[in-house]
Amino acid sequence: MSEIVVEGLTKKYGKNVVLDNVSLKISAKEYFVLLGPSGSGKSTLLRLIAGLEEITSGSIYIGDKKVNDLLPKERNVAMVFQNYALYPHMNVFENIALPLKVRGMTKVETNRKVREVAETLHIQGLLEKKPKQISGGEQQRVALARALVRDPTVFLLDEPLSNLDAKLRVEARAFLKRLQKEVGITTIFVTHDQAEATTIATRIAVLNRGTITQVDDPYMLYSRPSDVFTAGFVGSPSMNLIHGVARKQGADWEFHSEDLDVVLGKTGLADEKEVIIGVRPEELTVSKEGPGLSGSVSNVELLGSISYVTVSVGKTSLVVQLPGRPGIEIGDQAKVELRPESVLLFDAKTGGRIDTKA
Amino acid sequence: MQRGQTLKVGLVLASPIVVYFAAFFVYPLFNLLQNAFTSNSGALTIANFQSMLSDPILSVALSNTAYYFVGSVALEYSVGFMVAVLLYAYSGRLKSIFRTIIFLPLMVSPVVIGLMWILILNTNYGPLDYILSPLGLGKVDWLGSQSLAMPSLILANTWEYSPFVFLIIYAGLQTVPPQLYEAASVDGLSRFQTFRFITLPAIRPSIVVAFLLNSIGVLKGFDLIYVLTNGGPGFATYILSFYTYVVGFSFFETHYAAAIALLFLAIIGTFVFAMLRFTSVEVYLGLKRGEGE
Amino acid sequence: MKGRNLLLIAVLTLICLVYLFPIYWTVVTSLKTNLEVFTRPPIFLPSQVTLSNFYVSVDVFRAVSQTAVGSIPWMIDSTIIAAVATVVSTFLIAAPAAYSLVRFIRSVWLARLILFMTMIPEAVFVVPFFIIVAKVNLLNTWWGLILVYISFSAPFSTWLLMGFFNDVPKSVEEAAQIDGLSPYQIFYRVSLRLVTPGIIAAVILSFISCWNELLYALVITFTPFPAGAQTVPLFLTSFIIVQKSFAWGGLAAAGVFTMLPTLIMGIFAQRYLARGLTLGSVKG
Repeated sequence: MSEIVVEGLTKKYGKNVVLDNVSLKISAKEYFVLLGPSGSGKSTLLRLIAGLEEITSGSIYIGDKKVNDLLPKERNVAMVFQNYALYPHMNVFENIALPLKVRGMTKVETNRKVREVAETLHIQGLLEKKPKQISGGEQQRVALARALVRDPTVFLLDEPLSNLDAKLRVEARAFLKRLQKEVGITTIFVTHDQAEATTIATRIAVLNRGTITQVDDPYMLYSRPSDVFTAGFVGSPSMNLIHGVARKQGADWEFHSEDLDVVLGKTGLADEKEVIIGVRPEELTVSKEGPGLSGSVSNVELLGSISYVTVSVGKTSLVVQLPGRPGIEIGDQAKVELRPESVLLFDAKTGGRIDTKA
Repeated sequence: MQRGQTLKVGLVLASPIVVYFAAFFVYPLFNLLQNAFTSNSGALTIANFQSMLSDPILSVALSNTAYYFVGSVALEYSVGFMVAVLLYAYSGRLKSIFRTIIFLPLMVSPVVIGLMWILILNTNYGPLDYILSPLGLGKVDWLGSQSLAMPSLILANTWEYSPFVFLIIYAGLQTVPPQLYEAASVDGLSRFQTFRFITLPAIRPSIVVAFLLNSIGVLKGFDLIYVLTNGGPGFATYILSFYTYVVGFSFFETHYAAAIALLFLAIIGTFVFAMLRFTSVEVYLGLKRGEGE
Repeated sequence: MKGRNLLLIAVLTLICLVYLFPIYWTVVTSLKTNLEVFTRPPIFLPSQVTLSNFYVSVDVFRAVSQTAVGSIPWMIDSTIIAAVATVVSTFLIAAPAAYSLVRFIRSVWLARLILFMTMIPEAVFVVPFFIIVAKVNLLNTWWGLILVYISFSAPFSTWLLMGFFNDVPKSVEEAAQIDGLSPYQIFYRVSLRLVTPGIIAAVILSFISCWNELLYALVITFTPFPAGAQTVPLFLTSFIIVQKSFAWGGLAAAGVFTMLPTLIMGIFAQRYLARGLTLGSVKG
C-alpha cells in the first residue's frame, strides 16, 4: 500500500550525472535510510521521490501508482527539511494547519486534527508562538507535526537532525524511531552520519557518487560490506584498509604489502591478485611484546570505556580499539596482532568484496 | 518544480509588466525612432541627425552638460565620500542624529530644493553673499550672471546629491566585516594603512556603483535647472536634459526632438552599460554565488 | 581616542549645519515678517515670528491660490495620483514580475533590461508619452498621470523586490509546495509576506518620487483639482516664476508647507530606504 519502488532512476543537471540508474524497493512501514557523503546524490534521490525535481529517466512508484509526472501535492508525501522550513510569518498553529486549510478542510476539523498532532508531538503549549520564538528542537517537532497532520503515505526527512546539538540529536533520534513505529508510516531518512543511520534504520542504502553500493540492514552493512567504499564509510573509526597483493605460499595464502605481511585464511582465489584487506579496529589487539606486526605508537585517544591506539607499521597506520586504558604511550614500540578470519578481502581494481566463503 | 508549469506561471506573473513594457517602452522607442528618421513630410531621412551637427544650441548644451557633469560629480562624490568616511569613523550616540540630518536633502523634492536655493542665492537679500563677504565679494549676482549661474547650479546640486553618494558609500562601509580590522590591528597596520589596504578594496563595488549612479543621476537631472535658472541666463545653464524638453515642448519640433532624445539615450546608455559590467546581476538573481558567500 | 572623537564630532556638526542650513533658512524666512525678509545684511534669527505668510497672499489678484495653504487642491492631486500609482505598480506589477524573474524566468538579460529601464532619463520619452496620453484622452486627468508614473516606478520597484525575493529561502517555498499550495498561492500566501521590508521600501520610494515629479506633470496636466490633475511641484513652480522677486515670505511658506509630507515620510522610514536607494548594491 505504501511501498516505494524506484526503477532505473537517473538525474542529470546538464552533463552532470547526479544519480546513475538507481533502483530500490522500500517496503511499507520501513524506516529506510539513504546514507552517503555529500555529493553522493542522496538528497537528490529524496527530492525526486518528493516531486521537487524532474526525473531525467527512470520511474518512481508509490503504492502501485507511477508518480513520475505527479506534482508533490498529488503524491501525498510529507517532507521535513534540514532547516525545517517553517513559515516565519505564521504561528505554530497556522503552520501546521496550512496543509489542511489548502485542502479545504473545515475550521472545526482542522482545529481538531492540529491539536491531535500537537499532542502526539508534545507541542500543544507552543501553538500561539512564532517559529523564531521557539527552540531548535521545538521547531523540528513543529515541522514533524506539519508533515504528519496530513496523514501522508510517505514520510521524507532530509537530514533533519544536523542542526541540533549533539545531546538533543541523540534524543531526537530515539524520539523519531518511536514515533515512526507508533504511526507506522513508510519513512525515508537522508543522512551523512553513519552512526545515526545504523542506530535508527531498518534498512540502509549506501550511496556513492550517484550509485547505490549496497542495500542491507545495519548489521550486514557493518560485517559484510559490499565494497571498499562502504567498508570504509560505515563504522567509526573507519575500517583499516591496506593495499597489497595476495599470493599463495605453499598451502596458505598470504598478503604482502610494502610494510607488512599477513597470513590469510581461505581466500577463494584462483591466482595471485592485487587486493585491499580490511580489518576493523576492534578485531586488532596491541601489546608491548608478543606476536604480531612491529610498529611504533603514533596516537592514543582515550574515550573512557575504550581507547583507540594508532600504530604506524612502516608507512601504514593501523587503528586498534582497546578496552579501558591501554597502558601504552605515544612513541612506544608495540606489536599489532590480528586473526586471519577477521580480515575482509577486496579486489583492488573494482573495490568489490571478495567472498572468501567460496 | 515541473518545467512546463514553471514557464506558464512565470509568464502569467510577468504579464502585467510585459504589457507595460510594450506600451510604455517599446512603443515610445519605436515612435522616437520613427520620428527621428523621418522629415515633416514623412520621407525617410537622416537630416535630423545632420542638423544636430550644425545646431549651435546643441553644442552649447553639450558643453554645458560636460561642465555641469564634471563639476557636479567631482564635488558631490568627494563630499559624499568624505562625509561617509567621517561618520563611519565616529562612534557615539550622536551617530543616528547626524545620519538623519545628512539624509534630509534626499527627502526634499528637487523643486523645493530649487526654491530654497533661490532664496539663498538672491543677490540683494540672500544669505550666501553675506556669509562670503569676508572674502571681499560684496553683492554677487549668482543666478543672473553668465559665469556664475552654472557654479551656483552645481552648488545646489551638490547639496541635493552628495547625501546620495554618502548613502551608498556608508552602506558599503558597514558591510566590511569587523574581523578584517581586528586582523589588521593585530598585524600592526596604522590607521591610514588600514584604510588604504583593507577598507578601500573592500568597498570597491560601492565606490564604483556610487560613481555610476551619481553620474547617471546628474545627467538625468531636470527639475532643479527648470526651477533655479530655467536654462538661463541666456543659454548658460542649458544642459541636455533641459534642451530635450525645450525642443519638444517649446519649439514643437517633433522630429528633431526625437533625434535629440535618442542622442541623450545613447549617452546615458554608455554609462548604464558600464554599470552593468560592474553589477553582477547574476548574484542578485541567485544564479551565481557572490564573493564571500 | 577621546580627542579624536571630539574632533570628529566637531567636523560632523559643521557638516550637518551646512546640510541643515537651506532648510533652516527657508523655514525661518517663512516665519519672518516682511520687514525682516527684505533686509541686508540678512537676518538669521528673526525678532518677530508670524504665520501670516502661510495663508495671506501678497498678490491680491491671485489671492487664495498663491499661498501655502492654497496648495491644497494640488496636494489632493499629488496624493491621489502618487498613492494609486504606487499601489498599482508595486502590488500588481512589480511584485509578481520580480517574483517571476527570480524564481521562474531567471534571465540575466531581462534583469539587466529592468535595471536599464530604471535609468532612462525622463526627458527622453516626454514627447512619446504625451502623445500616448493624448491619444487615450487622458490629458489633465488623474489616470493620465498615474499611467505614466507607473511606467517609471514599476521597473525600479521590480528591481528592488528582486533582491528581496531572492533572499526568501527556497525550502520554505518547497515546504509549501509539498503542503499542497499552487505556485500562485505560494507567491501570495508565503513569499510575498516574507518580503515586507522590501515592499515598504518600494512603496515609500515610489510614493515620494511620484509626489516630487515635475516634467511629466508639467507636460500632461494644466489645471488643478477639481478641474484637472496638476500636482504640487507645478503649484510651486508657478509660484516661483510669478512671485520669485517679491513674495518671499509666501514663497518660503509654500516651500515649507509642501516639503513636510515627504520629509516626514522619509524620516520615519529611513531604515527601509538604504537598500532601495543603493539599488540593492549593498545589503542595507
